[in-house]
Amino acid sequence: MIGSSDLCTRVPELVPAPEEPAMSTAPNEPPAPDEVDAPQSPASLSAVSDSDSARQAEKNWRRDVLDPALAEQPERQDPFVSQQMQWPVKDLYTPGDLEEIGFDYLKDVGFPGQYPYTRGTTPTGYRQDLWTMLQVTGFGTANDSAERWAKMLEQGLNGFIIEYDLPTTNGYDSDHPLAEGEVARAGTAIDTLADMEQALDLPWDKLSHLNSVCNAPQPVNLAMILAALEKREIDPSSFTLQMSNAILIEYTCVGRYIYPPKHGLRIATDCIEYVIRHHPNWIPITVVSAQIYAARANPVQELAFGFSIAMEYLDATLARGFDIDEVAPYWSFVTGLEMDFFEAVSKLRAYRKIWARLMKERYGAKKPESMQLRLISSPGTTGLTLQQPLNNIARLGIQTLACALGGGAYAITTPLHDEAHALPSEEAVRVGIAVQNIVAHETGVADTVDPLAGSYMVESMTRRMEDEVFAEIERVDALGGALAAIEAGYFQKELARSQRDRHREIEDGIRKQVGVNHLVQEDEKRSIEMFKLGQEAEKKQVAQLVRVRTDRDETLVAKTLERVREAATSDENLVPPILEAVKAYATQGEICDVMRDVFGVYHPDSLTSGV
Amino acid sequence: MSDRKIRVLLAKLGLDSHTVGVTVIAQSLRDAGMEVVYTGLRQTPDMVVQAAIQEDVDVIGISSLSGAQMQHIPKVLDRLREQEVDDKLVVVGGVIPDEDAESLKAAGVHAVFTMGARTGDIATYIREWWDTQRAQEA
Repeated sequence: MIGSSDLCTRVPELVPAPEEPAMSTAPNEPPAPDEVDAPQSPASLSAVSDSDSARQAEKNWRRDVLDPALAEQPERQDPFVSQQMQWPVKDLYTPGDLEEIGFDYLKDVGFPGQYPYTRGTTPTGYRQDLWTMLQVTGFGTANDSAERWAKMLEQGLNGFIIEYDLPTTNGYDSDHPLAEGEVARAGTAIDTLADMEQALDLPWDKLSHLNSVCNAPQPVNLAMILAALEKREIDPSSFTLQMSNAILIEYTCVGRYIYPPKHGLRIATDCIEYVIRHHPNWIPITVVSAQIYAARANPVQELAFGFSIAMEYLDATLARGFDIDEVAPYWSFVTGLEMDFFEAVSKLRAYRKIWARLMKERYGAKKPESMQLRLISSPGTTGLTLQQPLNNIARLGIQTLACALGGGAYAITTPLHDEAHALPSEEAVRVGIAVQNIVAHETGVADTVDPLAGSYMVESMTRRMEDEVFAEIERVDALGGALAAIEAGYFQKELARSQRDRHREIEDGIRKQVGVNHLVQEDEKRSIEMFKLGQEAEKKQVAQLVRVRTDRDETLVAKTLERVREAATSDENLVPPILEAVKAYATQGEICDVMRDVFGVYHPDSLTSGV
Repeated sequence: MSDRKIRVLLAKLGLDSHTVGVTVIAQSLRDAGMEVVYTGLRQTPDMVVQAAIQEDVDVIGISSLSGAQMQHIPKVLDRLREQEVDDKLVVVGGVIPDEDAESLKAAGVHAVFTMGARTGDIATYIREWWDTQRAQEA
């Protein structure tokens, strides 16, 4: 354990390393009974397993060692609380803390690759394979993006996450009036199959994992990828496509929704069903709880809302006639990280355990794969600052370390240190990849499975996280589940309150943030290099769209769009007719408009928007 | 009239859907005694100006985090002038590069608050503008 060896060198007089006495040449005299509480005695260390003596020893230590030290100088803070949960943080955690929560090694932690998977979903942690290194990316026209992605794969990434621009994720074509200024800006612009064909011009031999983030128009995005792979003659089973398909999170906090929530859920379920039936090595659903976290949820809210949402999709999918063990292994999550190190580590460990318990206890899953959480961790989700942006590199390093120590995340994405400032620069991409490699190769943390297990503090916090998440899930259940909670504005209001509280903590200096309210550089010039995209990208994109519209067979487009309408008005799966429309070069906006017509457009009122 | 609350319209233009900032600002302005109306997402410049007129606000606060500030905000200013309601205070907040902030101010935005700005300072800025206006009216 990293923490304890450090402690030994710093305070040897309080906690002698066990091997020291053993190596001593002095004869080992049995202690007198009244000396049992003296920590200096080697024999007393073996007595630590005896909880009564340990408690007595702690009492004595507080009286004889701690209190005199505090009398001389009080602690620098009162009370100490964890950064986000605001849970009281004790000065010292001991075996007594584990006893208090009834900690049971086999039941609570067990072994890696075994239920409840607290120590990881694989038996070997990162000793066989390191985590997959991902980076969120995407900008410009499909050609611009493909070029940058190819470069990133050459630089050592195994896969990446495609982010689309706002018109694409909102289901508008690039020449829609609302799209002006946003085309190809925050991600890649995809209007038609022609764009996707260009975007997927990649060195496929280097790519094992592709993550596509497009929620509201998910079936259109899926269809475009399928059609583009077919055109490029790429075998869909040669890599893993991970779809976000996370529409319920858009309603909760991100805002890129189109249709009312219940229709959003139906569309998402269509995509899940289609992928499970036709591309069983792909991942059709990713619950991006990181987005909830980025919207300032605390870790308990992140997990509870995220799991409730996951279960809403699961129930909808089970209603299509699947067995839990056929579908649960597909469920995938992305979690966010912040700066409180132990909250982060505890959250990752609790995340795995809660999912395992939910699947087993609530859904009666039998297969291990159903209970093994698929998790991507995303450092830098929050906690990066606009001020002194280079400091964010340190923050990313620390958060990446927490990810690695929390264990079991099969992929880690590194956002970029200048993201708080503007869209990321190429230098930031390089540094982001470097941060992951430094943690992987230079620190040794990836060499032992779940190395913080057994830490009195980490196990206590992991348990508390678990208990409070289950309690919050029950509150959501009482509202009728995630869909009902969204329709009633519950998640939105909780997050709005959290956003205001968190902001106040920083403004009032309750939480220190370097560069923001601590070590502030008054005359700071914000001159970091920013990635800039000219207006040409938008013009080029619109020109390509116009060209595609001119060249296609309009009769075929109209016919295929009519088929989409028929499917939307019935309970037929939407993916196959949308695939036909995409192949006919119908635009994304046209396909979404057909569904807008059938499902309507969602306008949350002020109550359900949280503002 | 002079004792009434300052009325503020908070707006999100185009497809920018980042709402944390606007949520925090809405609350802090309410805490500072102002009345806040929120447009919701996906507004056009016309919709924002119409809402400002309809709600008879004194201040328009535009939140922009997606990078499209130069496309939408100058149009809001143009529409305000066209409708002859350009006596309102227009403030912008979000991720705005320095050079864009300068251009926006040149185009008629009164102040630009980027992500490090203190909410209290924003409320103070609005309050001081309001007091100056009232002093001029008196």
